[in-house]
Amino acid sequence: MKRTASALAQGFIRCHDCGVLTKISNHFSHCPICGGRLHARIPYSLQRTTAFLLSGYALYIPANIFPIMSVTKLGRVEVHTIIGGIFSLIENDMVPIAMLVLVASILVPLLKLFGITLLLLCVHYRWQVNARFLTGMYRVIAFVGRWSMLDIFMISILVGLVDMGGVAQVITGPAATAFAAVVVLTIFAAKFFDPRLLWDYSR
Amino acid sequence: MQKINFDACPECDVLLNRSAPNFGENAHCPRCGYLLQRPRKQSIEKTLALSIAGLVLLIPANLMPLIGIKILGNTNDGTLWSGVVMLMNEKMWGVALLVFLSSILFPLVNIILSLLISAHLHFNKGNQYLAAWMRWLQHFEEWAMLEVYMLGIIVACVKLSSLADLKFGLGLFAYAALLIITVMLSSNLDRVLFWQHIRQAQKSFS
Repeated sequence: MKRTASALAQGFIRCHDCGVLTKISNHFSHCPICGGRLHARIPYSLQRTTAFLLSGYALYIPANIFPIMSVTKLGRVEVHTIIGGIFSLIENDMVPIAMLVLVASILVPLLKLFGITLLLLCVHYRWQVNARFLTGMYRVIAFVGRWSMLDIFMISILVGLVDMGGVAQVITGPAATAFAAVVVLTIFAAKFFDPRLLWDYSR
Repeated sequence: MQKINFDACPECDVLLNRSAPNFGENAHCPRCGYLLQRPRKQSIEKTLALSIAGLVLLIPANLMPLIGIKILGNTNDGTLWSGVVMLMNEKMWGVALLVFLSSILFPLVNIILSLLISAHLHFNKGNQYLAAWMRWLQHFEEWAMLEVYMLGIIVACVKLSSLADLKFGLGLFAYAALLIITVMLSSNLDRVLFWQHIRQAQKSFS
């Protein structure tokens, strides 16, 4: 296949905000149309993505081993981790909802962490992988990221509703902060990854 | 400044001839498949109408109870805010802030920005802040997570159904309507068209 020229190779920069092409010159650091900063590629994309990704990996551990919430029912206290919450849903014959939570709070964060790792490795070592496939993977990762917030929102609703002292009460655990941080860090990691790098090295 | 008659794909940076798809057509990048533009009929007017509707619905969705529960004679109503307030009381500042931003503040900011931009464009009013507003809207858009919050409500209800009697409040219906409005808003907003109009508005303004 004939190698198609990128806009950068032809001397153009696309404004990330308004989409207008500008000829590369020393005069413009900001887009003449909308005033946004001009970058041919996201600056320090790999470094920033790696930083957010590693923090995400680090916080994934406390997010899974510490309790995410504790439920008090008539004086009896039950402590749930993320996985424990899924098992208790299965025990109560709510398998579809358990699968939903499993996907949103275990599979999606793992897919994001491993997926972004793969993207970074491909760019860093210039592996000749199908760039179209990887761009598709990047889009899936960027799209599903927000759905991991499901667990956080569910806890916030339970905490706000079930607040009746000794009769019934839900209290957040330390894993909630860690898990929320994992979600935000992986969203940022995906945001700072520049998919155009995948195409710069592919033939 | 000279006119450049090319476009570049935002995700693979391939240089493209400028395309002008008709209504009902989608323009995709030939190399990576990115959806470049999907023109909508009367995008500006629809955005204006939908953001007014959204602004009205925000009031009951924020103030009226979403769900009420009853456990052994004890009742409690939950609004959008009660979760945030309880998280603050428990000193979970980070989680409280995140929930507040993504379920309350950013949906509000997005609707206000859509309203401001589409109103200025519809009435042909120039404003030096139009481009900045549009940039903010593009950055904030992905942090409004109403649809994920809705799924959170559903999962919470299923979890509670064995423990308590549930009652759906008017706020929940307002919230569901608001969710539909915001989804329609983001699917109707044609970014390429909006930026073209903002460019014209700026030229006539300066």
